[in-house]
Amino acid sequence: MIKGVILMNDKGKPRLVKFYDYHPAEKQQELIRRLYAVLSSRAENVSNFVKVDSLFGSDARLVYKTYATLHILFIFDSSENELAMLDLMQVFVETMDKCFSNVRELDIVFNFNKVHAILDEIILGGQVLETSSSEVVKAVEEISKMERAANSIMAVPSITGWQSR
Amino acid sequence: MALSGMRGLSVFISDVRNCQNKEQERLRVDKELGNIRTRFKNEKGLTPYEKKKYVWKMLYIHMLGYDVDFGHMEAVSLISAPKYPEKQVGYIVTSCLLNENHDFLRLAINTVRNDIVGRNETFQCLALTLVGNIGGREFAESLAPDVQKLLISSSCRPLVRKKAALCLLRLFRKNPDVMNVDSWSDRMAQLLDERDLGVVTSSMSLLVALVSNNHEEYWNCLPKCVKVLERLARNQDVPQEYTYYGIPSPWLQVKTMRALQYFPTIEDPDTRRSLFEVLQRILMGTDVVKNVNKNNASHAVLFEALALVMHLDAEKEMMSQCVALLGKFIAVREPNIRYLGLENMTRMLMVTDVQDIIKRHQAQIITSLKDPDISIRRRALDLLYGMCDVSNAKDIVEELLQYLSTAEFVMREELSLKIAILAEKFAPDLSWYVDVVLQLIDKAGDFVSDDIWFRVVQFVTNNEDLQPYAALKAREYLDKPAIHETMVKVSAYVLGEYSHLLARRPGCSPKEIFSIIHEKLPTVTTSTIPILLSTYAKILMHTQPPDLELQNQIWAIFRKYEGCIDVEIQQRAVEYLELSKKGAALMDILAEMPKFPERQSSLIKKAEETEADTADQSAIKWRAQQQNSNALIVTDQHPANGTPPISQLGPVKVPSRSNVDCDSADQREAQSNGTLTVVDPQPPSTSSPDLLGDLLSPLAIEGPQPAENQSDHNLGAGVKGDTIGEDALALAPIEEQMNTVQPIGSIAERFHALCLKDSGVLYEDPNIQIGTKAEWRAHHGRLILFLGNKNTSPLASVQAIILSPSHLRTELSLVPETIPPRAQVQCPLEVVNLRPSRDVAVLDFSYKFGTHLVNVKLRLPAVLNKFFQPITVSAEEFFPQWRSLSGPPLKLQEVVRGVRPMPLLEMANLFNSFQLIVCPGLDPNTNNLVASTTFYSESTRAMLCLVRIETDPADRTQLRMTVASGDPTLTFELKEFIKEQLVSIPTAPQAAAPPVPPQPQPTSPPPPSSDPGALLAGLL
Repeated sequence: MIKGVILMNDKGKPRLVKFYDYHPAEKQQELIRRLYAVLSSRAENVSNFVKVDSLFGSDARLVYKTYATLHILFIFDSSENELAMLDLMQVFVETMDKCFSNVRELDIVFNFNKVHAILDEIILGGQVLETSSSEVVKAVEEISKMERAANSIMAVPSITGWQSR
Repeated sequence: MALSGMRGLSVFISDVRNCQNKEQERLRVDKELGNIRTRFKNEKGLTPYEKKKYVWKMLYIHMLGYDVDFGHMEAVSLISAPKYPEKQVGYIVTSCLLNENHDFLRLAINTVRNDIVGRNETFQCLALTLVGNIGGREFAESLAPDVQKLLISSSCRPLVRKKAALCLLRLFRKNPDVMNVDSWSDRMAQLLDERDLGVVTSSMSLLVALVSNNHEEYWNCLPKCVKVLERLARNQDVPQEYTYYGIPSPWLQVKTMRALQYFPTIEDPDTRRSLFEVLQRILMGTDVVKNVNKNNASHAVLFEALALVMHLDAEKEMMSQCVALLGKFIAVREPNIRYLGLENMTRMLMVTDVQDIIKRHQAQIITSLKDPDISIRRRALDLLYGMCDVSNAKDIVEELLQYLSTAEFVMREELSLKIAILAEKFAPDLSWYVDVVLQLIDKAGDFVSDDIWFRVVQFVTNNEDLQPYAALKAREYLDKPAIHETMVKVSAYVLGEYSHLLARRPGCSPKEIFSIIHEKLPTVTTSTIPILLSTYAKILMHTQPPDLELQNQIWAIFRKYEGCIDVEIQQRAVEYLELSKKGAALMDILAEMPKFPERQSSLIKKAEETEADTADQSAIKWRAQQQNSNALIVTDQHPANGTPPISQLGPVKVPSRSNVDCDSADQREAQSNGTLTVVDPQPPSTSSPDLLGDLLSPLAIEGPQPAENQSDHNLGAGVKGDTIGEDALALAPIEEQMNTVQPIGSIAERFHALCLKDSGVLYEDPNIQIGTKAEWRAHHGRLILFLGNKNTSPLASVQAIILSPSHLRTELSLVPETIPPRAQVQCPLEVVNLRPSRDVAVLDFSYKFGTHLVNVKLRLPAVLNKFFQPITVSAEEFFPQWRSLSGPPLKLQEVVRGVRPMPLLEMANLFNSFQLIVCPGLDPNTNNLVASTTFYSESTRAMLCLVRIETDPADRTQLRMTVASGDPTLTFELKEFIKEQLVSIPTAPQAAAPPVPPQPQPTSPPPPSSDPGALLAGLL
């Protein structure tokens, strides 16, 4: 099971936090801080895997990857395959890339709600829901159609050009 | 999407981003929270759009770590909004902020249900996502049937169905009863046939959850999984969108192979063959490529295939191939692959027979200890720890010691413990063990727990040969300019006891020893001072005739501490001063410490305890648990506490003690019990229940040579026994003490386990472990007995005699009379099977430990089924044979009652485990089993045996069996053998096999002709 997905920048600021096990708010912050400490201690050109049983209980593993200023972290238990998690992370990133055309940290900051919607199409209840990024994009586009239909009255310009894709 | 119209949210985020520090951020957030609070309170003026905006803001604020509990209700209420954008926000934010136990969530349950049963698919998706993320028991009870309907509905879109599958998984976890198993196993199998790979992917996750809970009910899904895997591996009907960097849905491949690992075995030979074809293709067809993503994906599949191959216990050839692959991986440049290579190699250790191949990669694994990545170094450490045995212990431990100096602090404690355990477990000789532990203390004293140095003291005390060596080493370490306090403790203790053995060496006169130890006194803490005082007293005692100058020096120290605030130090100082004035009598009172009772290392013991708990589990789990248990030791360390070590190392105390002393002794006793694990059945040489007891009892006063004084013990204790209660035990008659050598684990269970497999432990007690490993070829067998002495002193008068029944010819190679300390000897036993019989050979084994003779009689697993070789026969072969063996005595039939009820599948597994291979499909009646095997003996040569079992689904306690072979004795023995297996519970202890007359006795009554089974029998 996937226990959580966290996006944070290289200064440890959370950009998206989604836990599939419930943690109270203070605990979440503590976990984010300690995960950031773990990431900071990692050198370059090392593996993407760290065991984090001290933070999340026995068997917990962390896979992380850094894209420019953004770290993406998946925490999961031994029922998942580490490399498959890395694949899934790539699917997530490619999907965001398609939705925001060349996603940058700022896109995620200002569209964190949209990122939540994308993530909900990839992972559900800690299980992998969809692994095809084109399927995810299709689902997200459908959502945005619904949005636009409801919002058509308000003609406020969009912040990013993602709708054109 | 949502953001397109929410300028307010962007402005807020932007403000927060512009804050210079946390304080500013807090002010800005507080201001916003105040605003939101007021707006929510006064809801009248709030448009749905504004409400949505504020709820998003709340989620953002929550992510920053601020409390937004006040707004939970608002988020939940948006779920019932009529329009999609508000509803969506309500659903997403609620599933981020709330958990299943939240009261507000209950309020939403009706709305959620309406959305699920309603016709709007987008609403269905939102609701399923919420329930799949945070649904609890109540949701499970009220929504499961509706979600099930969505999952299997053919009119629903895949988008909805795949969410329904994962939603159902969550509900099943919350309440397993919601899945009506009978109907679901078929539905599950159908779902795996779906064309849409998204639905199959989600369904596969659901299957994993169901199978991990109860694999038997989902047996029918196994071939479907193999089909899914074949479909992907052959790239049949895989749409472009599910091809990831050229690989057909790697994720589904991985999940499918994971699901297969929850089934214990694969019975059906065709399914097994197809699966192995796929696996072989994956193992061989994966290359390292340039594209990182493609590489990751293909290796994800490859590593999962490796795990599955290990699980399925493939042929040795395939296993060697896997090890070779892993060997390649641990040397590649890509760190992820190196990491996983090491991790999987560690799992591979659990597969018997490949350890030797793994050892070939030792050099590379040791190199990985220097990897820049700590994750990889940890995996390398785990692997080295797991692969260490007597043959490579020296190399590995030396490498680990070297690594200790450069390892991160976070790893040192674990590393120290692992070194200590390996050094003890696999020491080729004891002086090496002493070297290792002293080096360990020298290099990483802060990380060496008390358990470790207590243990080395025990070894030295119990082995006279070792004492001068240890004393010399301790003396050498004292010359170093700065040594760790633990080193001071060990050296002082060892030199106090044994420095007189070095007396003639330069720098080792009592005076010199004293002064070099005394130099350290100003640097140590109060927990070490008592040990030093004892050492001084001992040095004084060994200096005969007394050296007045030394005596005055030491007395001065004792006087100095007479008024010490620390009770333990004060008491020792006072007592030693008084005692040392007694002159020659001091010799008796401060005599050398007696041997410690043999006891298991508290470190290793913990590891072994877990082993016993998991005896039934698969080897893989067992190893995993063993490794866990070591981790457990690390976290379970008792803090270094001054008191317990003192009480152990304390000098002999005279029986007449003050009350205060008694109290503190009791207290210490309790503590020392908590620290040291010393509860196994005590071997005979001492019988006090714990270490402290040994040291306080008058036995210690008796004299330095317990072995010589053995016969005097009872006498001595008898004289003084009434003064100290613990001594009552020392008076126990020898017969009683013999009983204290209890086997570890059930002998019967071990025997039964070995009847089904070829290697394992046959017998174990605190002193010895007897393992066996067997190979069977036709009617010949070679069974190696591994006799392992677990103690630090030799086992003598070892005798092994094979009592073989008339049908077995056995020859046991020479068994040495003595097994050296901690050594293992191998004794091959050749077995030839002359004729069919169920009688069992018995190993009559005895050894002497101290003065006590231990004798056990053990059944040897050279049983009837070991001479079977599996064979599968086709219908064309089976029926002519079956017909030609027409009746008694070659074909016997019997109705067996009182059968242990079991599902047919379990019975089939049982038969297969005895190498009686079940041939599915031969018998048209699904309640029946047909099995065959080839039996080998000198008289019969290879002989085909056929078995048919007809069960009665209405009454599982009875069945009818028909056994046929070309030899009447074989037919009879086989029939009786099967009967024993079906009627008895294999784990129940049994007496040695009852004598059975070898001539056939057809006992079965003729079957009643009205029996429907009889009609079938005619057809067969």
